[in-house]
Amino acid sequence: MTLAEGFGEHNLEDVVNVLVQVVEAAGALIIFVGAVIAFVRFLLVAFRREGLDPFARLRLDLGRFLVLGLEFQLAADILRTAVAPNFTELAQLATVAAIRTALNFFLGLEIKEETKLVQADKAAAATPATGATAPPATGAASPGTGPKPP
Amino acid sequence: MISTVSRDAALIVTAAGLIVAAVALARTRRAPLALALLLDFFTAAALLYLAAPPTWPALGAAALTIVIRQLASHALTAARAARHR
Repeated sequence: MTLAEGFGEHNLEDVVNVLVQVVEAAGALIIFVGAVIAFVRFLLVAFRREGLDPFARLRLDLGRFLVLGLEFQLAADILRTAVAPNFTELAQLATVAAIRTALNFFLGLEIKEETKLVQADKAAAATPATGATAPPATGAASPGTGPKPP
Repeated sequence: MISTVSRDAALIVTAAGLIVAAVALARTRRAPLALALLLDFFTAAALLYLAAPPTWPALGAAALTIVIRQLASHALTAARAARHR
């Protein structure tokens, strides 16, 4: 008796389908929670503006949630290929997987790029601040309190 | 079951995206930023929509949303990077 006969192909199909639903739901939940967190944080940030562009960081965090959710959804797609569907389902599955893989790739690139830009923004915001504080410091030091000559 | 829930969630995220974009536009007067936020939320909605068993129109809409998002996002990132040079 083969394993497929013992276990039953339909049972295997049912088990895989349940697993697919669970993994897919986990991915969707992550994306939904990420969007809700981004929405709440956006409202908090929008009504008390900070100096540094806070929206870039917010988009970055939402992007990270999307990537994580996509990883789960891609795992569900891979699981789905374990049960042989008909040609239409297979074509739809291939399209979904292609969309998700491409988006995952581009989001990854975008997160890298956005992280660089956020750091550049931070550096740009810090540079004028040190420039603005430097002249009074030297000015205050000049009338008598400056470093003594050796 | 999952299709109904994920489609409802997609609708909620779409509405959240519209609110976020409107508030961002009103507060910052920066249309590109509002557009970027709107497209981010629409992408999340498209992914939630894809969690349901797919149909060809849903797949087309999701693919189109993601392509538009990528193009707009690429243009916005390039513009920001150019400002830093």
